[in-house]
Amino acid sequence: MTKKNDDTRDETKSHDDKTLSRRDFVKTGAVAGLGATSLLESGNTNAQSSPSNENIQWDYEVDVIIAGGGCAGLTAAIRARDLGASVMVVDQNYDLGGRMLHSGSFTSLGGGDPVQVRDINGESDTEGFITVPSAEDPKELEDTIDLLFTDITDWSVVDPKAQSPYRYNDRGLVRAWAENCPATRQFLIDNYVRFARISGTHGGGGLSRARGSRCFFMLGEKTDIKAGTITPEDAGVADYERTSAFAPVQMMDASRLVGPGAVMNGAALSRPLEYSAREKGVQFMLHRHFDEVIRENPFSGRILGVSAHYSPRQHPDNGELMQSYWQNGNVDERRQTIHIRARRSVILASGGHAGNPEVRSMFYPAMREPAFPTSGVALQGPHGQDASALIAGLKVGANLAGMQQNISYPTTFHIAPRLGTRDAYTTMMPGHPTFGFRGSAGINVGSVGFEEFIAVNQVGKRFFNEVRLPARPSPSRYPGADGGSPGRGLDHKPLDWRNCRKEWVREMYNYDHGLDAALALNEGSEAPDYYSGPIWAIFDQDAVERTGWEVRYPYIADNGYSFKADSIEELAQKIAKGHEFQRVPLKYLTETVETWNRYVDAGKDPEFEREVDAPMNQIVKPPFYALSIMVIWHDSYGGLRVNGRQQVLDMRGQVIPGLYAGGEAVGGFNKHGLGKGHVHGYIAGTHAVEDVSA
Amino acid sequence: MKKLIGILSSILFFSVASQAQELANMSQFEQGQQIYQANCTLCHMDSGSGSPPIFLALNGNEQLADATRIITNIKQGSGAMPAFPGLDADEIAALATYIRNAWTNSFGEVTVAEVTSTLDGFEEGLKIASVWDGVYTEAQAQRGQILYSGTCGSCHGRRLNGAPEDPDMGSTPPLARARFLRVWEGRSLATLFEYTRVTMPSDNPTSLTDEEFIDVIAYMLSVGGMPIGTNELEPDTQTLARILIQQSQ
Repeated sequence: MTKKNDDTRDETKSHDDKTLSRRDFVKTGAVAGLGATSLLESGNTNAQSSPSNENIQWDYEVDVIIAGGGCAGLTAAIRARDLGASVMVVDQNYDLGGRMLHSGSFTSLGGGDPVQVRDINGESDTEGFITVPSAEDPKELEDTIDLLFTDITDWSVVDPKAQSPYRYNDRGLVRAWAENCPATRQFLIDNYVRFARISGTHGGGGLSRARGSRCFFMLGEKTDIKAGTITPEDAGVADYERTSAFAPVQMMDASRLVGPGAVMNGAALSRPLEYSAREKGVQFMLHRHFDEVIRENPFSGRILGVSAHYSPRQHPDNGELMQSYWQNGNVDERRQTIHIRARRSVILASGGHAGNPEVRSMFYPAMREPAFPTSGVALQGPHGQDASALIAGLKVGANLAGMQQNISYPTTFHIAPRLGTRDAYTTMMPGHPTFGFRGSAGINVGSVGFEEFIAVNQVGKRFFNEVRLPARPSPSRYPGADGGSPGRGLDHKPLDWRNCRKEWVREMYNYDHGLDAALALNEGSEAPDYYSGPIWAIFDQDAVERTGWEVRYPYIADNGYSFKADSIEELAQKIAKGHEFQRVPLKYLTETVETWNRYVDAGKDPEFEREVDAPMNQIVKPPFYALSIMVIWHDSYGGLRVNGRQQVLDMRGQVIPGLYAGGEAVGGFNKHGLGKGHVHGYIAGTHAVEDVSA
Repeated sequence: MKKLIGILSSILFFSVASQAQELANMSQFEQGQQIYQANCTLCHMDSGSGSPPIFLALNGNEQLADATRIITNIKQGSGAMPAFPGLDADEIAALATYIRNAWTNSFGEVTVAEVTSTLDGFEEGLKIASVWDGVYTEAQAQRGQILYSGTCGSCHGRRLNGAPEDPDMGSTPPLARARFLRVWEGRSLATLFEYTRVTMPSDNPTSLTDEEFIDVIAYMLSVGGMPIGTNELEPDTQTLARILIQQSQ
């Protein structure tokens, strides 16, 4: 295997354009109804380096173009279509849903949304699937837009990492979000999404009330969006070592929040929205990476459309072009670069920057290490979360917002307890077409599993107390077990100065910095990049017997992320030879294991004080194992600056006419997960249709 | 005294001989501290702070002035607190002395004679059993598995190893195998039952019935490899207090 020092990997095998058929589908040719005069009237004196865009040959023309078919994009597409617009979604992946599809579907809204009201009244859903009582007390569900707004701008909340998740939120943006939460919940319900009982609140959704709900299907004889049923095979529960093309991640038991026979996760949110969008006539151009937003002039005038290039994803096993789960509404376009004109507006919903190590370095230089991916990397492919919206926005003069807010969400990046796979964030199994890209599902050892091995860096040295390595401070959430605020829920007093008094912050502070130690410089960090390199869990056969870890396919595989050998020396050699980001030999590994075994004998670990946290076990019984430990960059909070209508703003605070953005593409709102993206999509879809071209 | 040695040796991994010698030299207060740390800190904390309102604070608790009440509660349980029928009069005296005088407390010594006279007339305990004696049935464990999957599994993981499938969720305590035993060895099923009943599920404690909780515990025992028996485990704390969680022999 060739060594790579950067992340220019492209899973796409070479393809021959000439063999591909070109389809003429809704092709419109030149711009209609757009004169050169109007294009130039807002002329810009800086335009000499880039000519104005009057002569572009448009390949397609629609009212609204949406870059990205995830939670913000699909919601925006349906909303714009409902309001009468023609809509085209371009997405770099072979299928829709983005990260929503592999999510847990925890959708935190509030402000008195219809699911809160339903649960206050203890009612079932309209189809009568829900047979369990409300999971939260009515008092914990009584919510208003004003309370929600107060909660998510509450300067006084400091989380267990001593960061402030809410105080930097953009007020106009989050006020609009709060006002649109109830309508968005209803909108999702109207598009086949079924919500379980509300239970708690997702991080960043405010501390005073319970606002989060997951999405469900009922197990049944066939998978039917309209009926709300899914087969056990499609849900991934018929065989725990197999998931489906429909739901890449195994669905969770929802009996406690719905009733017997219910299952929940992102497939029960993403697939219904996709189904509805296709039913309503949204067009989808998949395998197409959105590259640039085209503006009349480089930094002035309206947004005219986008350019996008062909980004085919080929099946990891047979090399064929991958196919989306549903086909209706797909536009099969295989030319290299095309231009699509937007008569009304462009919505950027192509996600964040978590998969782009160069952009990540803006926030944390050590995270430029390409060995560490973003979440869901097998599903999304090499272009997922690649900062495309941020990059394209900057090129037409957009401003950025919330650039420090990646740091103030405690799990933006974390060490995953799933070992032995690069794609350490999901439970996707064989049966999903992209499983081959991850090769192994990984072994989820939990935080306590870190007691059973030593963790070493790229030169084979221990670098931190293993037991504390994966510790994650909990986000400030209600009513989480240690919710990061004084009291919980109803006891939380918003805007109270005592919430952030020094004594309280000291008491709850629980960040161990293991991740930062994992990214530290070491003897293998060489100029000019000083990469910290991969990290490895090293253990022996005794550990396997103590824990019952299933060290076999599909949990591990011969994919460069797990190794097994009869001696430590051989193990070190195998890692050095077989792992794509292992740039130097693990020259200290043998010595490190010997030293560790002496520490175990002595009952004392003078380097990292392991004896304080858990019993220590020798590493002596072959075979010996090495499993990759992954740092995962999950969320993006810094991004394009938008106003309450999701319109992108330039550096002077002026609206860039015709350009909208939502979800992880935007900054200024430190809210984790889906609740943000759906409302952004709903707002953007609403206003994007009203926008009229010059 | 023999019983105390047995309990402590299994918990602290000391040899019986050296333990006996050590105990002989130990003050009543120090013996009480060891018994406290082995049996009480799970809920009342090493600092005696408890975790109100669920677990009573012992430090600064004026009710400890009543020695009879302490002795009775330890022997037969009280409310959510399980009974500790395995402790004899010597051990109860030591434990009561410890909690009455530890931290900022100063309520005075409790003598063995005081304990013996308080316990006089109490029905003598049944024999102490182990989780390895076949204390649940297969059908019960199967019922427990269904409940576990819906109520517990999302946080404690499908393999009961404390690793939730949802990667956004942090890890939780394992409920089976070596790592579970490390925390629970030497405690009774009554302690496990009461602790679980008042704290779980953490977002909605006491939402299961007693019968459901005991079924889940049966499932946990089955995953831990403890053998099935002919009778179901009953949610009766006096019975559960006489079944100890132990390593397999």
